[in-house]
This record gives sequence, structure tokens and C-alpha cells, in this order.
Amino acid sequence: MARKDLLDIASLHPEEIEFLLDQSKSFKKLFTHSVKRIPALEGKSVLMLFYEASTRTHSSFEVAAKRLSAEVTNFDVAHSSISKGESVRETIETLQAMRTDYIVVRHSHPGLPGMIARQTTASVINAGDGAHEHPTQALLDAFTIKEKFPDPRGKKVLIIGDILHSRVARSTSTLLQKLGIEVAYLGPGSLVPKYVPASIHRFTDYEAAMAWAPDVVYLLRVQMERQDVQFFPSLREYHRVYGITTARLAEISDLGLYIMHPGPVNRGVELCDAVMDYERSLITNQVENGISVRMAVLDWLKPGGEFPKQVSYVARQRADSTVLTP
Amino acid sequence: MLLLQNARIASENSPVLLESDVLIVEGKIQDIGSNLAIPEGGQVIDARGRVLMPGMFDAHVHFRAPGFENKETITTGSEAAINGGVTGVVMMPNTRPALDSATAVATVLDNARDRSRIPVYTSGCVTKNREGKELAEIEGMRELGVKMLTDDGDTTADPAVLLRAMQYATEFGMFFASHCEVPELAGPRAVNEGVMSYRLGIKGSPACAEEIIIDRDIRLAHAAGAHVHIQHVSSKLGMETIRWWKSRGDVKVTAEVTPHHLMFIDEHIGDYDTNYKMNPPLRTQADCDALLEGLIEGVFDIISTDHAPHTPFEKAQDFITAPNGITGLDTALVSLYHHFVEPGKFGWDVLVKRYSAEPRRLMGLPAASIEVGQPANCVLFDTEAETTFTRDFMKSKSQNTPFIDQTLKGRVDLVILGTEVLLERE
Repeated sequence: MARKDLLDIASLHPEEIEFLLDQSKSFKKLFTHSVKRIPALEGKSVLMLFYEASTRTHSSFEVAAKRLSAEVTNFDVAHSSISKGESVRETIETLQAMRTDYIVVRHSHPGLPGMIARQTTASVINAGDGAHEHPTQALLDAFTIKEKFPDPRGKKVLIIGDILHSRVARSTSTLLQKLGIEVAYLGPGSLVPKYVPASIHRFTDYEAAMAWAPDVVYLLRVQMERQDVQFFPSLREYHRVYGITTARLAEISDLGLYIMHPGPVNRGVELCDAVMDYERSLITNQVENGISVRMAVLDWLKPGGEFPKQVSYVARQRADSTVLTP
Repeated sequence: MLLLQNARIASENSPVLLESDVLIVEGKIQDIGSNLAIPEGGQVIDARGRVLMPGMFDAHVHFRAPGFENKETITTGSEAAINGGVTGVVMMPNTRPALDSATAVATVLDNARDRSRIPVYTSGCVTKNREGKELAEIEGMRELGVKMLTDDGDTTADPAVLLRAMQYATEFGMFFASHCEVPELAGPRAVNEGVMSYRLGIKGSPACAEEIIIDRDIRLAHAAGAHVHIQHVSSKLGMETIRWWKSRGDVKVTAEVTPHHLMFIDEHIGDYDTNYKMNPPLRTQADCDALLEGLIEGVFDIISTDHAPHTPFEKAQDFITAPNGITGLDTALVSLYHHFVEPGKFGWDVLVKRYSAEPRRLMGLPAASIEVGQPANCVLFDTEAETTFTRDFMKSKSQNTPFIDQTLKGRVDLVILGTEVLLERE
């Protein structure tokens, strides 16, 4: 059942998801011990290849790898030959020659981790590729929700914000749906495209979305850095129309809803300050669970073997795949 | 002297194949009829069951020379054409340097004379270095035989520049070929905006980015009294826009469709397969169906491949980094037969008319045909055999095609041009 790479949620089978979430639970128990390190990846090397800035995902992977006793190397993109115009493919050939066991990669280009995975024997973990996928974020989100709802089937999660540019929205919604959770999107019409999958409810009006009666409100970071053109008039207007304002927080509190956010937050944009102290905010739980989930993923993947081939559309059709797509 | 016995002759005028012997003497078709006498000392080919058609003509190819000889050269490009039953091509001018002057065009045509076994024509740029600003000098290019002006690869962004170019160059008997996209809408990434762009996490290029310029450029041609040729149309509304303008009858507009836009849709990109990355992008099944309808109806005058070679390294990069475009010359004729003629979606007449006769007429050349007195320019095609598009089979320097390693019905067995047998496959 082990895989070489974790590139997306779309191709994960239900039993794999169940296994990973169970394993995460076991690893989380370790956190209460005085010695938090286990020798699962003793002698293995993990390379962190982050082409995009990251604080929490990067440190979370690093902590997870170290708790499994792996040796962690940070590939310094800013001071590497990449700044001299070296292509990613040449970098990969270099890394393959170094025989690293795991490569954790983040890049702004969707599909790039898959390209790397096909050219190396190392296990490749997608730590975010453009607006495509961020599978470990989805796993930690699902884990966090399952801690509150052990049987999450039929629960409802409302994801608010910039769906168009969000890999978190794609990965998390796909995973939640595989767990039987209903998902809705809410956001400006310019950021919640009409062609999102039909299985996801689409709202552009806050009141209408709340009338859908969600159990969890999941806020996305408004990613100003990904917006090459303007998608809404101002942050102030965004906060008023789609943000969790103080008044809306009071209503959410009355209804007893949970709030989640993948971080980092923009205070005063997608949420008001008070959300950070809200008793049903799961934001710090998400960070904590990120470590155990990533330990489970690193422990699960098996480096080595043949380079996987690109699955052509034709081959994929023939394979009669049961893989769900977002 | 060459006698082809019992060939089935295809023409643009009828879907019915005419079984007959064809005698070629000194590069000309001397006789057509049944039971022609075997000429003394001549070669005899038993063509029973096989289809004899005029050589194809591709009015949109990128031969990359000068400047990008790592992708393609005039030699490898023209050999790919012959391999696919194509006996004449029109190069696009987005080389380096761009073909925006008589000097640049003369160099390419000189090279082509020495290095190609088929006629190679070239288009010229509308603007200097395809920058969309200053008009290219066209008089010298016209003297060298350039008829088509295009900044292909990009739209001439400023409509005022294109309008002036049309007003000016039309008086020289030249016409314009338009690559249609609003860059601000299309963005750099070649995926149709919709379900697939969402799934891939790539900001999509909406069909309206193309349709706006299709309409704009026909309007400009209407205003200038120019002839505009719309390149590689990919969307339903784009086709319908051209259909509407043609129905008015007050502007000279022609249009082309590529084999890949007729055969593939955005879903084929699958797991970021760069062999399905091109511009304009593959769109939806509804678009694909509409393009076929437009071809059969005659909205599209010609089929062109937009043969766009890129090196294996370039195409093996990630989807965003890999360049746009796929090759087409080695595969076009067989794939059109396999996907359309063999299953009965359109007849041989459509194939011959749209990929042989009309492209030549567009370029002001006489159409090739299998008739007595015509120069020999023909392809013998085996409908029972198959072709496997291995890397070795392909003659193009690059093999960035979705057909790589696929086996399709049909095979080009023989290509004859004038007194020369350009290809004879056993």
C-alpha cells in the first residue's frame, strides 16, 4: 500500500486516507512523552526544496522529519544556481545524484512536484504547487475536524475566500468530500469561479451561505501576492462583505461553529482580531496537528524503485481508475 | 515512367474514389484509365486498394530556422512534411531574427532551395521584429514572393497599427494571417478556462480572449478592404463569428483549423502532459464538435498543423515552464484519416480540398490534382496498413506530439513530386 510520492489528494484512496489519519493519531500521542523523537527514519535524508516563502509548512516538515530522526537539509534557493537561471530539471538531476531519500517541494508552478517525482528515486512530497494542491494541509485539516467530529459524515464545511488561487481549497475540499463531508465555497464572484465542481455548493452571499448551516467555517488567506490584477475593490470592502467581523463572530459563537484558517492570517481582512481568541477557533490545533500528520506521511512513503511514468490520458481512461478528481 | 495500377483516386470534388490506372511520364500525369498498357522500361506499382491523392499543403508551419535550429531546421522540417504526405509548406516568420525584411526572407528561401526537397514558402512579419509597433518593409518581401503577413505567435496588439498595415499592404496584393488573443485575458498559460483549469490550478485562458480578436481583425479587414486569414481557431463562438462574417459576404475572410483542435480537448492534458500544451489551448468537447461542423460546412477553408517543434528537454519541463506547441507534419494526414475519414465523419473530398487544394489557392498557387496533364504531385496512401509514430519514425527534429508511440490507421506509402519519388515506404 505504500507509495513513493505524495503529490495530491485527488489520487488518494479512502483506505490510504484512513491509514494516514490513524497513524497521525499515534504520532500525536508521542507529543505528550518527554522524549519526542523516534528512530523511524534514522539514517534517512530529507531535502527541503522551497521555491516559495513559507514559515509554518517549512518548519512543520522540518520538525516532523527530525522527530523521526531523519537528517534534514535545506536547499537554499535564494543562494543557489537557480538564481543563475538553472532550470528545475537540472536541479533535480543534481539532487538525484545526491541520493536524498525525501524531497519536500514547494513551487509556484502547478504540477511541478509531479515532474520532479518522475525524475528521481526520492520520495517527493508536494508542500504546495501553485493553485493546484497542498495535500498535507488537507490531511491536517481533516485530522483536526475529525478530532471534533469523530464521525464527520454529513457535516458541513464552508470555505470562505479566494478559491481561484487557493491550493488549500482544492486539496481540503477534495479530502473532506472523500470523508463524506459536505463542502461549500463562499467568496467574491471574481474569486469563486462558476466552474467549480458541481459537488461543491457555490455561494457569493454571506447570509445565504450561513443559511446553509455549516458546522465549520474555514477561512482562506486573502493572497494579495498571487493577484496580478485586482479581484475586488479594497480589503476594507472584502472584510465588510466576506470577512468574519465582530458582529458575525458573535453570531458564529451563538451557533457554536468552529473556525479554521491555514495561516498566516490577515487580521482585519478575512477575520477580525477577536477570532484569534475565539474559544472554538481551531487555528492553533491545525498547526499542532500539522507535525503529526507530516510524520505520518514521511513514515508512510517508501523511496526508491523505478521512476514512475507519466500517466497519459489514454492510459488513465483504460485503467478504469476509481480516483476522484476535485 | 511509372504506372500505378488500380489506384483509387481521391479528389476535392467528390467523396467517391475513382478506381483507375495512372501513368506518370517525365513528372506529368500522362494518362488515366483502366488497363493502361505497361510502358516499356517503366516501373509498375500495384496500387490496388490504396488511395492516390494530391500532395498535401500546410500553410502554417514553424521550421525554426534561423535561430532555433536545435528544435527544427528547414531540412528536418521538410523531411517531416514528406514523411506525412505534405508536398508544400508555408513557414511562419517568428524565427530569430524574425522574417521582417527582404534580407531575412531571401536567406531563408535560399536555404530552402538547397535543403528542402519540397517547395518552402514563407510569410513575413506585419511589424518589425513582431513587436507590433513599426510596420515591416514589405515591398522587398513581396518581390521575393511573400503573400502572407503575420506576427504569428502574437496578436498585433495595437488595432491602429494593424489597420494601417492592412490599408497599406493590401495595395501590394498581400493578405494578413491573424493569431488571435487578447494577451491581458489569455495570460501566459495555455489551458482553457473552465473545469480543467480549476482542476489543474492554472489560471485559464478564456475562449473570449481569442474570439474578441477574431472579430476585431475581421472588422479591421472590413474597414480596410483587406483579406484576413484567421489562424488556428479553437472555439465554438470563434467559428460562429467567422461564419457570420462570411455570410455577410462583404469582407474577404478565410480561416484555418488544426488537426489537434479537431481531435483533442482540455481533459487530455490529464496529469500536466505538455504534449497537449499549445496556444490557443485545447477547449471543450462542445468546441471540438463545433470546429468539425465548421470544417465540413466550409467555415474553415483550410486545415493547417501549426507544426511547432520543441526539444525533448524543453517539453520535459513542468507544464508552466514548457513552451507552447506540438509538431504535426509527420502525423497530420494519417491522424485525419484515422479520426475522420475512416469512421465516416467526412469524406476524402473534404480532406483533399481542405488540406491540399484550398491551402495552395490561399497562397495563389494552382491546386494539385490527379488529372491528365497535371504535374505529378501525389501521395499513395494505404488505408489498410497502420502507422506507429515512434521516435524513429518521425523525421522532425522534435517529437513533441500527442501521437508519440501511438498506432493509427493509415500509412503514407509513396510521395511523388515532379520527376522525383520523395518517399517510398515498403
